[in-house]
Amino acid sequence: MSAKLKRTIVAWALLSPLIVLIVFPFAVMFITAIKPAQEVLRPTWWPSEVAWRNFIDMWPATNFGPALWNSIYVAVLSTVLALIASVPAAYALNRYRFSGRGLFRQFLLVSQMLSPMVLVIGLFRLVVWLGLLDNVNSVVFVYGAFAVAFTVLMLQSYFATIPRDLEEAAWVEGASAWKALVIVFLPLAIPAITVTAIFSFINAWNEFVIALTMLRRQESYTLPIQIFSLVAGRYTVEWHHVMAATFVATIPVAIVFAWLQRYLVRGLAIGAVK
Amino acid sequence: MTRSPVTNPYLLVLPGFLLAAFIILWPLYQLGTISLSEVNRFGQLRGFAGLDNYIAVFTDPDFLGALWRTLVWTVGIVFGSLIISVPVALILNEDFYGRSLARVIVMLPWAVSLTMTAIVWRWALNGESGMLNSGLQAIGIIDTNIQWLARASTAFPVQILIGVLVTIPFTTTIFLGGLSSISDDLYEAARLEGASRWQAFRQITLPLIRPFLNISIVLNMIYVFNSFPIIWATTQGGPANSTDILVTYLYKLGFRFGKLGEASALSVMMFALLLIFTITYVALAMRSERQ
Repeated sequence: MSAKLKRTIVAWALLSPLIVLIVFPFAVMFITAIKPAQEVLRPTWWPSEVAWRNFIDMWPATNFGPALWNSIYVAVLSTVLALIASVPAAYALNRYRFSGRGLFRQFLLVSQMLSPMVLVIGLFRLVVWLGLLDNVNSVVFVYGAFAVAFTVLMLQSYFATIPRDLEEAAWVEGASAWKALVIVFLPLAIPAITVTAIFSFINAWNEFVIALTMLRRQESYTLPIQIFSLVAGRYTVEWHHVMAATFVATIPVAIVFAWLQRYLVRGLAIGAVK
Repeated sequence: MTRSPVTNPYLLVLPGFLLAAFIILWPLYQLGTISLSEVNRFGQLRGFAGLDNYIAVFTDPDFLGALWRTLVWTVGIVFGSLIISVPVALILNEDFYGRSLARVIVMLPWAVSLTMTAIVWRWALNGESGMLNSGLQAIGIIDTNIQWLARASTAFPVQILIGVLVTIPFTTTIFLGGLSSISDDLYEAARLEGASRWQAFRQITLPLIRPFLNISIVLNMIYVFNSFPIIWATTQGGPANSTDILVTYLYKLGFRFGKLGEASALSVMMFALLLIFTITYVALAMRSERQ
């Protein structure tokens, strides 16, 4: 037996208890989502037949469509808001030396860590003051503003990898600073901006406590709040619909995240650890 | 070159700075004001109250219970995930068949929102129909159904376990970053000197990933201390507030019991605590940056 084969067996054997625990909730979600309604409350693992139509039935039963639309609206607009504020800031942090630069970075590092959770009562008053309670735009604003620190730091660490020479060459050729930025720098920055935007999107997509606080009527619910409302404080829960909805709300985003996860790690590593 | 807004760093930084500062400072100012005022349940301020709200928080037995559980919760999850993540990162750093698949599986819990994870677990832990009970019965570990979420003595440990499970991916990732920065030559040299694997781990790996351990501990403390969805979506702090931690207790104070003064006082104190953690983190991060 080769050394690598031996290592493979040992590694998978050691990891297997953890893998079982990790896969277990996904299995519960998927198996429940495909169980026929009358079998859901029976404590069996496997359904007698696969009820794919749960995925169709859950759509009206869980009010999935409007909540999906709210989630997309909130995640997209808050990301756009954060990027509009953070792309220029990240560019400045990276390309210019100015007094207060170090201080601004420290401010971002600190505010990136301050979770909205401890500010939620103040945020609630802010939203009431702005007259935006029960309005999805309140959540757009709060998510966007809270995302700025993360997006600036992440963009900044990637902008550092874009060579400065190209912009300088454009200046020498007589391009204005603005032109050099738009024609030379931004196209090179698009991958960094895209990756940062996706993480900002996913954060907004998954957020819970702000949405729970600011959105009180079902028309304004985002997906996590909508699905939570089907479970919390109810005596009868249509678990097969809830699990089908959870599956659809979760899996596409999870796949994108798993695929891009290494960029987040690199961004975090450049931004924080290194 | 002509002056243009693009060359003025302060103008470029300003919108981001204003937005990020406003969203923290405005609510913080509000919290400070309310916490020092007498306030009715509709949020109207009724005059200066000194430290009454702070004293009311500290004399509430529910607060002391939540405070203690927050300590157990935070320390349990941070060190639980640390103890599991170090060996997992060491394994994932080895070269074996299917390593990239193993990495994807270990990272999975990070990809799913905490709310959804907690809702799935709430169902899996259901006393009569939950698949955890039926799974454990099928392999003979238990013979009667356990009402996991009905009592704090089973609910809270299970919640901590879920917390550990969702914290492992991030922690492992940080350690993998640390491990990949250690050059193979060091291990080669240690082997030539006749060091055992355990000695190599103690003398080479551990000291070199120490900064990464520190960063992960501080970051996880901040994240876990603030973590709301796992407990809220499984038990909402119940039964009878017995699984409340500070964040869920804070939410109830403010939005269920309408005690806005006390809730604000608690928020201010939690904010201060968080700030201390965060400054520790920034100091650590800056130190490793300078090295």
